[in-house]
Amino acid sequence: MQILPGIVIVGKALWIKKLKILVVADLHIGYEEALAEEGYLLPRTMFKEMSKELKELLEKLKPNLVVINGDLKHEFGQISKQEWFETNTILDMILERSKVVLIKGNHDTILEPIARRKNLEIKDFYIVDGICILHGHKIFIDKEIYDKKIKILIIGHEHPAISIREGLRKETYKCFLLGRWKDKKLIVMPSFFTLYEGSDIKKEELLSPYLNEKSIKNFEVFVVADKIYRFGKVKDIR
Amino acid sequence: MIKEARKRSKAEILKVLDPTVKEWFFSCFKDFSLPQLYGVMPIHERKNILISAPTGGTKTLTAFLSILNYLVKLAKEKKLEDKVYCIYVSPLRALSNDIHVNLERPLAEIEEIARKKGVKMQKIRVMVRTGDTLSKEKARMLKKPPHILITTPETLGIVLSSKRFIEKLKAVEFVIVDEIHALACNKRGVHLSLSLERLEEISSISPVRIGLSATIAPLDEVAKFLVGYEKKNSKWEERSCLIADVRFAKKMDLKVLCPVPNLIDTTAKEMQENLYSLLDRLIQTHKTTLIFTNTRSGTERVINHLKEMFPHHYARLEESIGAHHSSLSRSLRLRIEQKLREGKLKAVVSSTSLELGIDIGYIDLVVLLGSPKSVARLLQRQGRSGHRLHETSKGRLIVLDRDDLVECAVMLKEAIEKRIDKVQIPKNCLDVLAQHIYGMAIQKKWKIDELYDVIRRSYCYNTLSREDFLSVISYLSAQYPGLEEKKVFAKIWYDPETREIGRRSKLARMIYMTNIGTIPEESYVNVIIALPYERKNEKIGMIDEAFLERLHKGDVFVLGGNKYEFLYARGMNAYVNASVKKPPTIPSWFSEMLPLSFDLALSIQHFRKLVFELFRKRKSEKEIKNFISKYLYVDRNSVNAIYQYFYEQFYYTNGKVPDENCIVIEKYIEGEKIYYIFHSLYGRRVNDALSRAIAYLLARHYRKDVEVSINDNGFFIASYRKLNVEKAIKWLSQNHNQLRNVLEEAIEKTEVFRRRFRHCATRALMILRSYKGKSKTVGRQQLKADFLLGAVKKISSEFPILKETKREILEDLMDVENAEKVLKWIKEGKIKIEIIATELPSPFALNLVTQGYADLMKIENKIEFLRRMHQKILKKIKS
Repeated sequence: MQILPGIVIVGKALWIKKLKILVVADLHIGYEEALAEEGYLLPRTMFKEMSKELKELLEKLKPNLVVINGDLKHEFGQISKQEWFETNTILDMILERSKVVLIKGNHDTILEPIARRKNLEIKDFYIVDGICILHGHKIFIDKEIYDKKIKILIIGHEHPAISIREGLRKETYKCFLLGRWKDKKLIVMPSFFTLYEGSDIKKEELLSPYLNEKSIKNFEVFVVADKIYRFGKVKDIR
Repeated sequence: MIKEARKRSKAEILKVLDPTVKEWFFSCFKDFSLPQLYGVMPIHERKNILISAPTGGTKTLTAFLSILNYLVKLAKEKKLEDKVYCIYVSPLRALSNDIHVNLERPLAEIEEIARKKGVKMQKIRVMVRTGDTLSKEKARMLKKPPHILITTPETLGIVLSSKRFIEKLKAVEFVIVDEIHALACNKRGVHLSLSLERLEEISSISPVRIGLSATIAPLDEVAKFLVGYEKKNSKWEERSCLIADVRFAKKMDLKVLCPVPNLIDTTAKEMQENLYSLLDRLIQTHKTTLIFTNTRSGTERVINHLKEMFPHHYARLEESIGAHHSSLSRSLRLRIEQKLREGKLKAVVSSTSLELGIDIGYIDLVVLLGSPKSVARLLQRQGRSGHRLHETSKGRLIVLDRDDLVECAVMLKEAIEKRIDKVQIPKNCLDVLAQHIYGMAIQKKWKIDELYDVIRRSYCYNTLSREDFLSVISYLSAQYPGLEEKKVFAKIWYDPETREIGRRSKLARMIYMTNIGTIPEESYVNVIIALPYERKNEKIGMIDEAFLERLHKGDVFVLGGNKYEFLYARGMNAYVNASVKKPPTIPSWFSEMLPLSFDLALSIQHFRKLVFELFRKRKSEKEIKNFISKYLYVDRNSVNAIYQYFYEQFYYTNGKVPDENCIVIEKYIEGEKIYYIFHSLYGRRVNDALSRAIAYLLARHYRKDVEVSINDNGFFIASYRKLNVEKAIKWLSQNHNQLRNVLEEAIEKTEVFRRRFRHCATRALMILRSYKGKSKTVGRQQLKADFLLGAVKKISSEFPILKETKREILEDLMDVENAEKVLKWIKEGKIKIEIIATELPSPFALNLVTQGYADLMKIENKIEFLRRMHQKILKKIKS
């Protein structure tokens, strides 16, 4: 489904048609391991699931470029062996098929060594064709993203999800949000990771400085499920 | 085989007693008590025995007498070895005083007698080991092991996996399980039952098992729980055990009291005045009174009112009244216990905490404010009065409304006629099993078939299926997909070729010791405003986690005098709507309320039937009242009140009344809302299961949420549209074997499921409360448990922790077994369904419909409301 002209939602990713760019955000590789360190022994399902999903996307779309929009891996601290392995494997798998741009997220404080080894640059944001792709955890001051030429911002970080009720049943889904920030259109991407849906935008505190309680009400919701469903504005969903 | 113990003669016991022990005994006691006449000889003869007697029945000494006798004889012959001869397990953590009275003092006195006579004997060592025991003391224990080890179920589990201390347990001769009635019904007991089998397995001799219990039923099941099973010629048989049933040895003086002659036509003020005058009169005419209130808030309320109304009795400088409940700090509770033992208190008010056998000295009257909800509990509570067995124990049940009156009156009959409701012992709990198998693997290498057999010796696991057993092994050895990384997930290794399991790392013991246990960490939940927008994020107060479990979305409750509608919970926060017009639907002490026992519920239903039959036969008022007063053991006032209550119900609903053979569904419309009130008096655990299943079916069918409220006497389902509730219950009864499936679906997305999953995952050690030197808050645990739940669901719906969560909710929290039974009775026609419509809720429905109001309206308002409704009903009957 097209979310804006030329920008299409494919699963949990965005597809910039004209330039054949695939955008994914928030993979949080190593999340389960971080939890295990705290004593929550979650089964490891994420790496396999995410590799499979990504591979399918790459093979279907054959992109020229994949933009990883922040938080490729989870931990703030040291990179563990497992994380090294998984991050490497996923990056290699993408690099075999496409070029890669890494956007820095709040969890990616020590991504450098991996990136360096693969000759990848880590950027704060990536601008192409009037679109600025950035993680969304902080607002950059005096940067070219404020330029009038940029019409669209694409952020991650928020892990937006929405709960929908029917009768006694309540289900939560990952979703894309489309709204405005200053003079620009703003797309918020869901997390690519599979551990949980995300934080319910109707109920939970917003994380990204690009969003606030008031503005969020007028964002349009695109629910990710077997296909993409338009659900209207946040304020209209009960 | 389970057999009754026989009463032995004094002479027999005297013959086996060592002279010093004999001399000591008669320097303290005039004669042997009844439990001693039953119990001392079998223990001397090394037979397993369950002794059930009221508190104050010298049970503990009965258990110890033969053992002390044996140890003293050995000590005199200098044959005492450095090993543990006897393990005493009690669920109470603060054991020291009891042990002092029953063990340390007798020993010291016996030694003193021996010294005076110039008889030389070795020192008999008694030591306490609990979670609080310092490592210095543990080291000392290792060097000089106690001959008698005093411990808790949890610490026993740890000791059984210890590297060195276990050596001292390899020839234990006696195990005493005290307060077995407080263990058999929960997972602590399940855990202990496996520990006992592990002890049996490592011990070169089979320790004699001695169980001590307050009043409980059925005794043969509890005896089996104590002794477990044995495989003989590839068939499972229960081990032999004697039962010493001295439950009714104490004479009872039990009465139901109404504080006012008429429970309904009394103003609240009169009610209050009369209630507290009655309480004061009872307290003042006795030496020490123990009052049970069922809820913690009730405890404080009673004390405040007594102080206000009778300051000269209770509000002097030296306080003569105190509270004792689980929310009070341990030191406060200990202080109250100490004052009681010193005879300094006139009265103590407790919620439930003083039910257990904590030594509190002399109590000559027990008052129960409101129904204790089961015959066993009634007898346990009132058994706290009357110090000695030959004394009469005195109990008074004070009732405050008409349902309470009927319930307590029937309960009294059951107690006097010695019919005690049955306890349910949890079986095949997979989380506790996982914990134990981990512990067993730490202890040594096992062939899994051998392991399976040891586990099945426990009463709680005798029917454990091989599949479930293997699924737990798979979980522990990380055989499930996603658990491949053994270093993290595998707690044990399993070799499919040799079919052996064992411990994986040196860290295992550390993790086991710091995380073992079955009591979930409960805590308080913040109540935070989500709506209206202007007050968003304002924190109002706290509710306890168990109460949160009971809240459905849309429930209205009262906190600090204001109403809030529950919206949702996240982590340890409950979000509410503060601008709410609906009346409250659930009282805030709901989670503390004890459930009515199923057996007692059926007895009340039977009583209803007998009385309504007389109404149907058009018997005169006098005849019916005569029947009631003959059938129940209550005074004239109570007979009149019960008659009036039943009369109103019968004529208000034209004889369509609920009883043993009929569930009445009463349809009543208030404003735009339609209430379907199910008069299903089966206790709240059964009603919880039935109402959730029916509500789920209806919500699925109409694609619309319905409102549910339950109590012991029934439940209602309410909605803004007409519902075909009859069809739902009929479908369920025709498909009663589907009830479990329906409920499993119905609970899956609920708050209670998330919480209980956390508890089970913690017990099964998939969440480690204490890990790498850090422990975590309950709130953090819950949030991460939610992630875990999602991940585990992806692995398999049969994953042992998921399966156990469902089992715990269906079988321990609810009572799915008896709910199925009720549905089956409907199917067989034993129970018919009758649907009626009323303009106002019928008298029997009033308490259910108004239960949520109880918090908001002061007691006077609630009664005013009841009276107003009641007047309308009377008018209708007359017209």
